Amino acid sequence: MEKKKRGFWRWLIASVMLRLILIYLPKTFNLASRPEVSTPLVSLRRLAEGYWLKQSSISPYAGSMYHGSPLLLSLLGPLTVKRIEGQPNHLLCSLVFVIADIISALLIRATGHTLQMAYRQSLNSLDIVDLLKSSDLLSSGDIAALVYLWNPFTIAACVGLSTSPVENLVVILALHGACKGLVPLAAFGWVMSTHLSLYPAILIIPVILLLGYGPDTPPRKLYLQKGYGKNGDNHSSDNCGQQETNQSKAEVTFSWRPVIHFLFWSSLWSAYVLVLCSISVKPHGSLWEMFQRTYGFILTMEDMSPNIGVLWYFFAEVFDFFRSFFLIVFHLNILFMILPLAIRLKHRPCFLAFIYIAISSMLKSYPSVGDSALYLGLLGLFLDELADMKFSFFLLCGYIGVSLLSPVMHNLWIWRGTGNANFYYATGMAYACLQIILVVESVSAVLNHDRKLRKLSVTKLRDGNS
Amino acid sequence: MPKTETGTPKMKPRPIVRLGIFLISHSLLVCVVCCTAGVLALLLLPLLAKNTYISENALMPGSASSMISNRDISEANRLASDLSGLNFEPQDAAALESRGILTKYMSDLGAEVSYHKFHHKPNQFHPLHFFSSPDSTSSVKNFSCSAHGLNTVGIIRAPRGDGKEAIVLVTPYKFGKRGATYKFGKSGAAETLSLSIAYTVFSLLSRVTWLAKDIIWFVADSQYGEYAPVEAWLRDYHLPVFTGLGTLNADTCIKIDDLYVFEQKSIAQRKISDGFRRAGTMAAALILKVADRNELLEDTLNIYAEASNGQMPNLDLINIVNYLAVHRQGLRVKVEKVLTLLDSRWLEILGEIFELLGKVARSLNPGWKFGISAADYIEGSATLASSLYYQALGIPTGPHGAFRDFQVDAITLEISPKVFPHNKARHNEFLLRGGRLVEGVIRSINNLLEKFHQSFFLYMLTSPSKFVSVGVYMIAFALLVAPLPLVAASLYADANQLDLGVKNTKSTPTATASDELDITFRSWKWLYAAREVFLIHVWGAAVLLLPYFICQIPNCSPTSSTVIWVFLSMLSLLILYLIGVSPSTHVSISQPEEKGEWAILKSATISVVFIGLLVMSVVNFAAAEIGALLLVPMCLMAQPLKLDMKVGKLRSFLRIICNVVLGFVAFPPAAFFVVKTIFEGFDSIDMGDFWNWMESLWAWNSATYIYIGMVHLPCWVLCIHILLHSC
Repeated sequence: MEKKKRGFWRWLIASVMLRLILIYLPKTFNLASRPEVSTPLVSLRRLAEGYWLKQSSISPYAGSMYHGSPLLLSLLGPLTVKRIEGQPNHLLCSLVFVIADIISALLIRATGHTLQMAYRQSLNSLDIVDLLKSSDLLSSGDIAALVYLWNPFTIAACVGLSTSPVENLVVILALHGACKGLVPLAAFGWVMSTHLSLYPAILIIPVILLLGYGPDTPPRKLYLQKGYGKNGDNHSSDNCGQQETNQSKAEVTFSWRPVIHFLFWSSLWSAYVLVLCSISVKPHGSLWEMFQRTYGFILTMEDMSPNIGVLWYFFAEVFDFFRSFFLIVFHLNILFMILPLAIRLKHRPCFLAFIYIAISSMLKSYPSVGDSALYLGLLGLFLDELADMKFSFFLLCGYIGVSLLSPVMHNLWIWRGTGNANFYYATGMAYACLQIILVVESVSAVLNHDRKLRKLSVTKLRDGNS
Repeated sequence: MPKTETGTPKMKPRPIVRLGIFLISHSLLVCVVCCTAGVLALLLLPLLAKNTYISENALMPGSASSMISNRDISEANRLASDLSGLNFEPQDAAALESRGILTKYMSDLGAEVSYHKFHHKPNQFHPLHFFSSPDSTSSVKNFSCSAHGLNTVGIIRAPRGDGKEAIVLVTPYKFGKRGATYKFGKSGAAETLSLSIAYTVFSLLSRVTWLAKDIIWFVADSQYGEYAPVEAWLRDYHLPVFTGLGTLNADTCIKIDDLYVFEQKSIAQRKISDGFRRAGTMAAALILKVADRNELLEDTLNIYAEASNGQMPNLDLINIVNYLAVHRQGLRVKVEKVLTLLDSRWLEILGEIFELLGKVARSLNPGWKFGISAADYIEGSATLASSLYYQALGIPTGPHGAFRDFQVDAITLEISPKVFPHNKARHNEFLLRGGRLVEGVIRSINNLLEKFHQSFFLYMLTSPSKFVSVGVYMIAFALLVAPLPLVAASLYADANQLDLGVKNTKSTPTATASDELDITFRSWKWLYAAREVFLIHVWGAAVLLLPYFICQIPNCSPTSSTVIWVFLSMLSLLILYLIGVSPSTHVSISQPEEKGEWAILKSATISVVFIGLLVMSVVNFAAAEIGALLLVPMCLMAQPLKLDMKVGKLRSFLRIICNVVLGFVAFPPAAFFVVKTIFEGFDSIDMGDFWNWMESLWAWNSATYIYIGMVHLPCWVLCIHILLHSC
């Protein structure tokens, strides 16, 4: 165990070294201008532009350059203009992103430990300990953190001067706070992530479930069955029913107190953020302008420059009078999936959050590789549940293939002029398909895992009874 | 890609899934059929070639009569005699003088003349250059002051145009006779001849009223090769540098500047701008050369079109040149051929078989006309082979390659005269023909309303008037690589003992709990294979970077460089093997299985080969095709030799032989030397050749270099690893 821990720290330091080396390389890779890495929302170049506008007492949102939060502007803006002699241009910002990545990884690790503890406890309480043998070797938190750190997408987003490491950090902060039951932290993370990139707003459901029920557990029915089995000796059904309800109440009750706290804290934090924002934009504009230029920009899909998503091409082609209709359709797409998933996966709120993030990063208007980095990192948290996931090898090959093909197709279209937009869009479609397969397979793997647990506990009970 | 697994065996899966499963379970048959069909389709390509046609209607080649008159030609002759009458003793002075003459002639025609100075950079290995777009390579540091050249640029503004578009005419010319070995003689005469042709056209174009695009006549100072000046000028044309360069020059290159100033003074009365002159975006570029060898039969035009990484100019450009040269000027048009293939016996037999088949088909139904004569077939395949080879190398075949990097279509026209023109009338006729050809082409391009886009960009030529388009040649490649995902899936399924629903295994729905426990983590077993594959690819990247360090060793002959490279590669592989592939990691997971871990390793290897070939086929099709011919059979055949040894049947013996032969041939240096032996004989083999070849690849930023290092070599190593696997 000690050795493993040291191994973790070694890998962490190695990943930081790699990042620093990449930062110090001459900018021949041009990562910062790649459409895969920097979208209009997360590009640091745009942020620097917004800061410059603000410094010359113009609204930072003038000219449709900057579309991020004013808080990020006043946080990262001064760093973009600071140059150190003989060092890469955006060194300080890059360092901030590296630190954000490290903190995210550590938070993922802590969350993973919490989740694994909860998993073990629930297995213990169900008496299926032999399942633990296989998972003893691996600590899912460590692996998830390392996956997050070493994922080429994360590295590209970190080195490529996009603000997505910061956005990922606040999302992870919210999840971590909710897992640990730290209500103010969870509320802060949720409010900040919603403020920064809007889509994490849907995470309110998993966060509330997490606070209400606690971390991921097998389905509640199992406990009911268990209670039933334990009391199977006395055959009076009435009695049994009584006890069962008693016991299940003890195990799975939705506690409203933290939820109320959460709502209170999040309203507090949002008021705070709004006040800060209004102070920040006051001299040049209003809060309304900020909402229009950030959330409005996200929702109306104004910028149709190519990215790895599927919406830009569609809205470049669609007739103008259908535009608002399809905007509503595409955004409702995300909302449609929220409720069914929440009902089906309510016993695994953390996993639910992962699924939400994956879906929104697939359907959002300006996706970048930073979003994929987030959900791929979270994927590692559910190592025990996803142990027999299908198509894992196919998915890996697909991700590698798409991430190699996408720049090549872009080059063919933009630089060589022998291809066209369809070539690049095809890779975007393939990428979306891969994400769909990932979501579908991981959900079905988790459901299968639940079935397996039930089977195990049933056989255990039968053995115990006989 | 069809999925490997079906969800539940009880339910009858969908037809497409059933089809996928059927293909996967019969993967051996599919492999053999697809690979054979792929090779056959490649051999059939000369048969399937279509005749070229002019796709863009606006071009209208040859619709107007030529306007070049004897006056233009006599002017050009005067220029030529002025140039060749110079005294060549002090070289710099001669260069100045000839440039002055050229400038005088140009500006007399009313053209804007300017000079463009460039610095020659010797080729250096830069590992990051492969990934950078042309705009980021503005590294002007580290040039040596002595190596500089001065190009002359003349621009005619179009009377009908708005100055937004331009056509470029390039003639390479050696101004300064710096090279000690260079003697002004025949080749100089050829260059002067190309200058006279260009001048003929230029003087005509300065008078015509129909010009809608500016004409840039670029006389490239070709003392450092023909590519470098064109490339430097294009870069300055498209990517102006605003800072740094001027001050840098002032500091380091005083002598040159003095020279430059002196030159400026000497021709001060002329209308010369010292700034960089620009016209509009380039619609097309023609590089005009006169070959110094003479043809026996008739005037011949050689077309060179391959740019970097197998890019080709738009087919319409070649079409109009071919059309005008053949139908108007009566020139013989040629494209590059592999001459050794012309008298190869097996190709002849193949051609005769195809001819026979064509005859049989025609006797059955006169409407089927796919047969071509055996001679045509041989000619076509020799041309196709050369087309494939030059595209696969990814090295431009002339200065036109520089234009393609800026999305300008360009070709090199090399005209070889019949006899060396001492005969005055013959000389003038030659000038007239060349001039009319260039004039016709420029007039066609002048008609163009948009960029070239109508015709093909992805094609291969089988003769100047026949081509194979991407839709046809992709079939051969697709057939070749189609078995890869199937075999990968089937191996993966076998190794994981997945039930494909066809093997008639009744899966027990009531599996006991302990069974299910075993299945846990089985689906992640491939992680170890993936790790191994990843490590080998890291090694491949390291091998790619080694030349960077080897280049730093001073006075290293190519042979010793090769030896050092091979030695270091082996050493690093050994180190990697000792560190990375430690056996302890395998213990926890390796359980008795049907086929063992080599199957999963093979599956992972094949997947990587598939991805690599797919990406490469988009970047450079020809390289991917040749790579697939070598890699695919080897990957599909690979099986541990030990297993085959144990069986000891004839079939397994054959497989061992095949494996060993394929494993030898697919090794890049071995493949190189085998091909060299076949084409040039055994005695011309030298170890250093391989180094030189690879050096030319990285010097030209060819993607083939990356392909060899990141796909071909690692996969070869993995296949050898599978062959020697102790299962």
